[in-house]
Amino acid sequence: MSHILDIKNLSKSYDGKNYALSECTFALDTGKICAVVGESGSGKSTLIRLIAGLERPNGGSITIKGAVMSDDNKITAPQNRHVGLVFQDYALFPHLTVAQNIGFGIKAHKDETLQQMLKLIKMDTYASAYPSELSGGQEQRVALARALALNPELLLLDEPFSNLDAALKSDLRQEIKQIVNQVGTSMIFITHDLYDAIDIADEILFLKKGKIQLHCPLSALSKSTENQAVKSLIDELKHNAEHLLQLLKH
Amino acid sequence: MLKHLKRDSNQWSLYTVTISLFIAIPLLAVVIYLFNGPGDMWSHISNHFLWDYISNSIILLFGTGLLSALFGVSAAWIVSNYQFRFRNWIQWLLFLPLAIPSYIVAYAYVGLFGNGGSFIQILNSLGISIQKIEMMNHLGLIWVLSCSLFPYVYASSRAVFLSFPKSIKESAQLLGASHRRYFFSVALPLASPAIIGGLFLVFMEVLNDFGAAKYYGINTFTTGIFRTWTALEDLQSAIYLSALLVLMVFGINAFITWRRRKKSYELKINQSQRNNFNKKTLKGKKRWLYGFILSIPVLFGFVLPVVQLVYWAVLTFAEMFNAELFWIALQSVGVALSAAFFIVITSIVLIYFTKWNHLKGLRFFKKMVTIGYVLPGAIIGIGIIRSSQSVIDFFSDGFGLKIGFLFYGSSFILVYAYIFRFLAVAFNPIEANALKIGKNLGEASQILGVNKFKTLLKVELPLLRNVIISAFVLVFIDVLKELPLTLILKPYNLNTLAVSAYAYADDERVAEAALPALVLIFIIALLMVFLNYAEKTFLKATAKTK
Repeated sequence: MSHILDIKNLSKSYDGKNYALSECTFALDTGKICAVVGESGSGKSTLIRLIAGLERPNGGSITIKGAVMSDDNKITAPQNRHVGLVFQDYALFPHLTVAQNIGFGIKAHKDETLQQMLKLIKMDTYASAYPSELSGGQEQRVALARALALNPELLLLDEPFSNLDAALKSDLRQEIKQIVNQVGTSMIFITHDLYDAIDIADEILFLKKGKIQLHCPLSALSKSTENQAVKSLIDELKHNAEHLLQLLKH
Repeated sequence: MLKHLKRDSNQWSLYTVTISLFIAIPLLAVVIYLFNGPGDMWSHISNHFLWDYISNSIILLFGTGLLSALFGVSAAWIVSNYQFRFRNWIQWLLFLPLAIPSYIVAYAYVGLFGNGGSFIQILNSLGISIQKIEMMNHLGLIWVLSCSLFPYVYASSRAVFLSFPKSIKESAQLLGASHRRYFFSVALPLASPAIIGGLFLVFMEVLNDFGAAKYYGINTFTTGIFRTWTALEDLQSAIYLSALLVLMVFGINAFITWRRRKKSYELKINQSQRNNFNKKTLKGKKRWLYGFILSIPVLFGFVLPVVQLVYWAVLTFAEMFNAELFWIALQSVGVALSAAFFIVITSIVLIYFTKWNHLKGLRFFKKMVTIGYVLPGAIIGIGIIRSSQSVIDFFSDGFGLKIGFLFYGSSFILVYAYIFRFLAVAFNPIEANALKIGKNLGEASQILGVNKFKTLLKVELPLLRNVIISAFVLVFIDVLKELPLTLILKPYNLNTLAVSAYAYADDERVAEAALPALVLIFIIALLMVFLNYAEKTFLKATAKTK
C-alpha cells in the first residue's frame, strides 16, 4: 500500500532550545485513520501544524503523496498541500453563514458541492445560520464539512472531541468515521483520550515529550506494552473498563 | 538561523523593511545629520538658552504630571466607586477637555483671568477686588496643560478601577481595611501601571506642546527648535536640539517601562465578577466635596474655556463668520481625512506584512515605525525638512531639476509626516484586535486554499471593521488638533483651523482666534459623541452578531 504521508526526522523548537518535536519519523498508509495520543505538551498539535504547513520545522522533511512539502530548502504553503484541518476551536468564520463557511474554499461546482456537504453532515436546514447560533456538535460538523469540501488527500483533526460532552462525543466519533470512510480520505486526529483512538482509528501513534514512543496498528496495541508510558495508559484504560463492568454488574 | 534565512524570507519581508524605513526617514535623518556637527549658532544657544529649555521642560513635565495625576485619578476613583446624580453624564464630560487643544485653552485663559477678564469681572461683582490672576508663567502653563491633558490619566485609571473584581474589594473589607486604606494600599498600587501609562501620554503631549508655551512666553525644547530654525535660521542646531529632545523622550520611556515592569501586576479578572460591586451612594458633606473635586477639571478644562471662546466668537462673529472660515474648515477636514485614510491603510499593511513574513528580527521595524507617537511634532518636522532638502539638492545639483514645489507646494509631505507621527494611534488598537481574533481563522482560510491577501480581505478585515472605524476617527481627531507639525510643513496655500487659531492669537488678536477654535472643538466633540454612540449601538451590535 502506498504512503499518503511520509515524515522523516522532523523537529521543531519554538525557542531554539527546547524541542516541541524531536526527530520524528513515521509514515501513514493511504486510506488509514491514525490517532495521535499523548499528554498535554507532548507535541501532538505541533506535529499536525507542521504537516499542515502552519509551522516551519527546524529540521527533517514532510512528504505528502510523494511530493516533498517541506525540508531544509523549501516550504510549500498550506493552501498548496491538499490537506484539510479541523481546528480544536473549529475556527469557523463568525461573520459568515454555515453555507458561506463551507463554500469558502470551493472553487468549482460550488453549489453542488455545498449541497452535498450539507447533506453529508445532515445540516441542510442550517445553511443560513451563523456559527454563534449552532451547538458545539453542529459547529464541529460544519468545520468538518468545510475541510472535506475541498477533497483533501489527508484530513487532520486537532482534538476534535475535546469540547464535547460524553453522549455527543460518542455519536460524533461514529459519525466522523462514517463520513471519512464515505469520502475515502486518510485522516490523522489528535486525542488525549485512548477511548477515542480505540473507537475509530486503524493505527495509533504515542507521543511523549516530542518523541514518538510507539506507532502501531490498533490490533497490535495489546502486544506493545514494553514502553512504560504506553503501558500505563493501557493499564488505566483496563482499570476504568473493569471498574465500569463492576458497576454495571451491581 | 542563517541556514533558514533564504527559506524564511519572502516578498513581505522586503516590503516590511522598505515601508518601515521610508516611514521612519524623519527620525533617521535627525540621527544621521547629527554627524554633520553643530550649526553656527550652537555655542550661542548652549550658552544662553539650553539650560532654560532643559529646566523649563522638566518643571512642566513634573508639575503637569503631578496635577494631571491628581485630577485624573481622583475623578476616576469617584466615578468608578460612587453612585450620585448625573454620574453617567459627568463621567463622559470628564473626557471632553481632550476635544480642546491645550493652546486654545491657553488663549481662553488670558481672556478669563487677564486684566478685566470675564472671571475677574465675576469676582469683582462678588465684592472680591482683584485686577488679574497672573497666568502667563510656569504655574499658569502647568495649570492649563493639566486641565487639558488630565483625561489621559482619567481614562486609563478609570478603566482599571472599573475592571477590579468584586473579590478584591470584599477581601480588603473582610480584613478590616477602611475605604481610605483600600484606596491607598490596594487600589492605587494595582492601578499604578495604568496610571503611569496615562502619565506617559501626558508627558509626550507636554513635550509636543508649542502653541501654549509660546503664547505664555516659556522657552521649552519645542519652542526652542522652532526659534532656532526660523529666527536663527540654523537648521543644523535645530537638529541638535531635536536629538537632545529625542534623548529626553527615550529617557522618560525607559524610566516608565522600567517602573511598569517593576509594578506589573496581573489581575485575574473573571468577566462575571468585573465591576459588579455595588457603588456606594454619596451623601451629606462627602457629596459636596466629591462634587467639587469632579467639577474643577470639567469647569477649568472645558466649560470656562468654551464659555470664553463663545463670548469672543459672539463679539467677532460679523468679522470672522465668512466663506474663508468654511474654506479653512474644509481644508482641515480634507487633510485630516486623507491622513487618517493613509494611516489606517499603512497600519493594516504593516501589521499583516510583518505577520506574513517569517523572520522574527523584522519585529524591530514594527517598533521603529510606531515610535513617531512619542516624538514631538517639531522633531519630525525638522527631520523631514532636512531630508527633503537633501533630495531637492540632489536633483538640483545632479540633474538641474527643480522639484522643491513637490515637497513644499503640496500637502503630500504633510500627510507623510502625519503618518509617522500618528501611525501608533491606529496601529496599536488594530494590531491588538488582530491578535485577539487569533491566527486560527486566517490559517483555516489558507488551508482552504485561499491566499493570504484574499484571506485578509475576506476574513480578517471584516472582523476588524469596528476597530478600524474607531482608529480612523481617533487619528482624524489627532490630526485635526496637531499644530507644530502642521506649522512647519504646511504648504503656503493650505490653512487649517488649528493654524488659523494660532495665527490670530500669535498676532495678539486672540478674540478673532475664537471662532476657528470653536469650529475645531465642535468637529472634535461631534466625533467623540459619534464614537461614543457608535460603540454603544451599531459597532456593539455588529460585534454581537459575530
